[in-house]
Amino acid sequence: MAVMQNTSEKSKWYLPGIMTGLGITMKHMLKNIFNKKEMITLNYPEEKYEYSPRFKGNHILTVKKDGAIRCTACMLCATNCPADCIKITASEHPDPHVEKYPIAYEIDMLRCVFCGFCEEACPVDAIRLGPEWQTPGLNGANFTYDIKQLAYRPGLKGGVQSVVDDEERLKSGI
Amino acid sequence: MQQQPLINCTINGVALQVKAGSTIIEAMYENQQKIAHYCWHPGLSIAGVCRLCMVQIEGNPRLQIACNTVVTEGMKVNNTSDQVKDAAKWGLDFHLINHPLDCPICDQAGECGLQEQYMEFGKYNSEMSEKKQKKHKVVDLGPTVVLDSERCILCSRCVRFTDEVSKTHELGIFNRGDHAEIGTHAGKPLDNKYSLNTVDICPVGALTSKDFRFRQRVWFLKDSETVCNGCSTGCNVKVYFNKEGVFRVKPKRNDNINGHWMCDEGRDVYKFVNKENRMIKGHKLANGQWETELHAGAAAKDAATSLKGVSGNDIALVVTGQHTVEELEAIVSTFVNTYKTKNVYHWWNSEATASEFDGILLRGDKNPNTKGLQQVFAKHGINTKFSDLDPSKVKHLVVVGPENVPVYKDFTAKLEFFAKAANLIYMTSAKVDTLTTNKSLKSATIIPLKTYIEKSGTFINHAGVSQTFKKVTTVVSEALTVTEAAALLSGQEIKIETLNPKNLFVAANTPADQVTLDYRKKNEFTFQRGKL
Ligand code: SF4
Ligand code: SF4
Ligand code: SF4
Ligand code: SF4
Ligand code: FES
Repeated sequence: MAVMQNTSEKSKWYLPGIMTGLGITMKHMLKNIFNKKEMITLNYPEEKYEYSPRFKGNHILTVKKDGAIRCTACMLCATNCPADCIKITASEHPDPHVEKYPIAYEIDMLRCVFCGFCEEACPVDAIRLGPEWQTPGLNGANFTYDIKQLAYRPGLKGGVQSVVDDEERLKSGI
Repeated sequence: MQQQPLINCTINGVALQVKAGSTIIEAMYENQQKIAHYCWHPGLSIAGVCRLCMVQIEGNPRLQIACNTVVTEGMKVNNTSDQVKDAAKWGLDFHLINHPLDCPICDQAGECGLQEQYMEFGKYNSEMSEKKQKKHKVVDLGPTVVLDSERCILCSRCVRFTDEVSKTHELGIFNRGDHAEIGTHAGKPLDNKYSLNTVDICPVGALTSKDFRFRQRVWFLKDSETVCNGCSTGCNVKVYFNKEGVFRVKPKRNDNINGHWMCDEGRDVYKFVNKENRMIKGHKLANGQWETELHAGAAAKDAATSLKGVSGNDIALVVTGQHTVEELEAIVSTFVNTYKTKNVYHWWNSEATASEFDGILLRGDKNPNTKGLQQVFAKHGINTKFSDLDPSKVKHLVVVGPENVPVYKDFTAKLEFFAKAANLIYMTSAKVDTLTTNKSLKSATIIPLKTYIEKSGTFINHAGVSQTFKKVTTVVSEALTVTEAAALLSGQEIKIETLNPKNLFVAANTPADQVTLDYRKKNEFTFQRGKL
């Protein structure tokens, strides 16, 4: 890249520009000192920014009304996942209305690219990407999230409820 | 065989000659023409109930079903007109009136007739506003099969199978109209030796196999053809596998051997192929200590060292009919030529029941290649009786053990018998725990082998039909084939066939430039990469 040098007479009048810049800085400083509430800087990590619920952060497995996991282990998310980071082991549920459910559901967070394709693929709103994104961990093992972490981690306060309800669906005769 | 007269007809504009008396669908099936159908199956009688196989016959004002209309001389048929497509679409809509659309949890999804035909003819929004008829789900039909009546389209294939092929008559259609359901009679579950064929022929996910249920989605599996090693019939099968192992076995049509079917026993043989049931490492017992982490090739070489210079009277070989002709030939000729002995014995678990036959497929001889073994023996002039073998007399005993251990009922007893030998060399693909815990062994080597799906070879079945099959996949990569083990035992090295190294890197062998578009060639990076 070539650097252009401005050698005109006009370029020597730089002081007014500097003064204007300092003026703006001063204005904001005074505003923040006298009106602390409207200051937009956050004291991270004590204060955190709330992302919108549509943000594509860590996955959440939703739950049914009774708190059981919503996922039916159809593996469409695993099929759709471009990073091949979802591993599901399905099994027969004792309740014939449920029929199939996951006994293990693991996402390798380090391989995930947070594309949200899993969420798109799920036919029953069982997986969502949530607003959390800060995921510190001490070693690699902490980054393979299992069902417990995906559905019932403390931040989710007992689980996020799915919008797809089997009972309502059965009642409406679908 | 008497030649059947041929007649002329035109199907979708193609002039064909077909056997007199064949139906339109048979004519199309034999000439690889596509036609939607559910109830017709080449191995069963004609039912004509699904009404999906509609075709237009010139000169006939209405559409006809292809499966129950016999081809006549000069008939002109097509199944590509808009009228036929419309009929198939409406036929499909009626099939789906009460269908639960369970696809996400349905094992058939991915290979389902309804899904296929919907993508071909459907793609409509359902016109039904009524509630769906609820039926029984997850019905336990018997020890192997689970029924979901809601998914069933009442094609009656499964009923005809139990009536015509297995002749056990367990299944029937009960009730009428939209209450009709497949079911079994009270106290008579679907329990026969061929029951899982109903799962294969069910065009939808109504019948599912208990063994395969929910273990994999079918689109994660690859398939490949091989020959079943469950018994001496040698059914042609398709093995479904992925990197985690083998998951199921299905029959492949071969009119000379197994028709369209296979038995339930043969579907279980994949289990001994998977890693958890396999001998993975070579083992060696010396000075009372088991060395358990030996590489297969190292174990075989150790065994070869222990056999060096032994006289032909001190050594014996035991083989089973569970290995391919090529392998048996390799190991037997090693013994005949290198070790100069004819002490080769045939360990035959089912000699007494060998001639048994259940009238459909299953045979009493549970080895796929007994005939092949006998031919190899005859070729080398070996004429021994297993009862003459006395392991305590021969010092070095080499045993090529069976793959399918569960059918060797006297397996543990025989192992103890072999353990009397001063030096036992046991080759096996199956995990044998009793061997490493056997206290009477003095010196032993275990060489892990490959199973029948991991190698190419030939089986000769009960009728003398020789069937060559190709390798399907590799489950235990370091295991040896018997041929390789035989080469190592005779003191040779295993050779891997490669191109002549002189020819490997000459200019003529470099692949052509894969980048063909001019504007892409201008991009230097792509151009370079394309040449790599
Ligand atoms: S967000 Fe994308 S990469 Fe991550 S698990 Fe879902 S589909 Fe896979
Ligand atoms: S999360 Fe959704 S898409 Fe994935 S297996 Fe469960 S139900 Fe299927
Ligand atoms: S039978 Fe076919 S269409 Fe019906 S639920 Fe199963 S896969 Fe879906
Ligand atoms: S269970 Fe399957 S094979 Fe039997 S009638 Fe129903 S759809 Fe046909
Ligand atoms: S295949 Fe012809 S009616 Fe079913």
